[in-house]
Amino acid sequence: MIQAPDIGKVIFEHTSDSHVVELPFGLGEWHLPTGWYVFGVDLSPTKHVVFMVLAAVLVFLTVWYAGRQVQRRQQEGKAPGGFGAAIEAIVLFIRDDVVIGNIGHGGEKFAPYILTLFFFILYCNLLGLFPWGATPTGNLAVTGALALMAFLTIEISGIVALGLKGYLTTIFFVPPGMTGALAALMLAIMTPIELIGKLVKPFALCLRLFANMTAGHFVILALLGLIFIFASWGVAVGYAEAPRRRGGGE
Amino acid sequence: MPALLVVLLREADGPAFTPFSINPGVILWTVVVFLLLLALLWKFGWPAILKSVEDREKRIQQQLDEAERARAEAARLLEEHKKTLGNARGEAQEIIARAQALAEKERQGILERARAEQEQLLERARKEIEEEKEKALLALRREAVDLSIAAASKLIEQNLDSAANRKLVDEYLDSLEKRQ
Repeated sequence: MIQAPDIGKVIFEHTSDSHVVELPFGLGEWHLPTGWYVFGVDLSPTKHVVFMVLAAVLVFLTVWYAGRQVQRRQQEGKAPGGFGAAIEAIVLFIRDDVVIGNIGHGGEKFAPYILTLFFFILYCNLLGLFPWGATPTGNLAVTGALALMAFLTIEISGIVALGLKGYLTTIFFVPPGMTGALAALMLAIMTPIELIGKLVKPFALCLRLFANMTAGHFVILALLGLIFIFASWGVAVGYAEAPRRRGGGE
Repeated sequence: MPALLVVLLREADGPAFTPFSINPGVILWTVVVFLLLLALLWKFGWPAILKSVEDREKRIQQQLDEAERARAEAARLLEEHKKTLGNARGEAQEIIARAQALAEKERQGILERARAEQEQLLERARKEIEEEKEKALLALRREAVDLSIAAASKLIEQNLDSAANRKLVDEYLDSLEKRQ
């Protein structure tokens, strides 16, 4: 009987970041440069950075091409169709049902940001489905950075929309008509809750995206790992006798 | 999970990668890549799609408004035509009625005149006939007198000498005298 490989190690190595990119079609591996230290921060690119850049390039090409096609058909006076119409349908769904649906009136100016975020995360997620691919969104640093940017966007646009004074009332909130000791008590209780409330959503979403991507790959790899543990295709059809017979045959 | 332990221990040794490690460099990379993508798409990507869509929405709205306007206009014109048609029909009825009344009156007038004329003609004819008859009678009488005078003169020529005749003439003369 052959030695079962350490599936846990394989899963961890596959899911985690590294300085080595596996290349498809038997082209081997691409060893990325290391040791780019700037102010003590390791800025050397990793596998996830490479796939992130790849995702960004693909997103740009997709949207750029779709936009060109939509514009050309518009100018020719034709009804929308083709690849541009497919992307346009997604864009309109995000704009009308997600952005304006959640932000409300005036949410149109956030549409480009949310759309970029949507397509970027979508492509990052999908790239992990290639056998040699990696999922940048399965990295806490990536999701954390996206959450940080979302947090800053939300709070800064809040300050812009409400003014600094109005924005501060969303943190230091006293119900109208409440004064004196009760107001102080209210502030003491509500201020930490409001502050936590502002942080919780980006934090939770950052963890959710990371956990979903990582767990998804864990599950796929664990199921694929069963093949190597049992060393037989029989597991695919529930034929569990295969390893025993093989072991007996040798 | 010995594998997890192994990996976690190995990270303690050096900067090895695990699924749960947070690499500050990758945070910076993410921010840079994302902001770059956002800037590029903001300039070259989304406006093309969103502007085309907004243009299309505007155009469709415009066409809908225009169709609504055209519909209202058509309804107004139809109403107007209906009214005009009704007016024309009424006018035609009136004209026909007036013409009929006129024709009736004319007919009556013509009949009246014809009857009067006929009456007149008859009257004149009758008068003429009467006159002619009168004239004829007169002539006949004159002729009879002449004839009787002639016959009488013949008779007189033959019988003047007879005593009887003398007697007859005397008698006649007597009757004449008596009559006067």
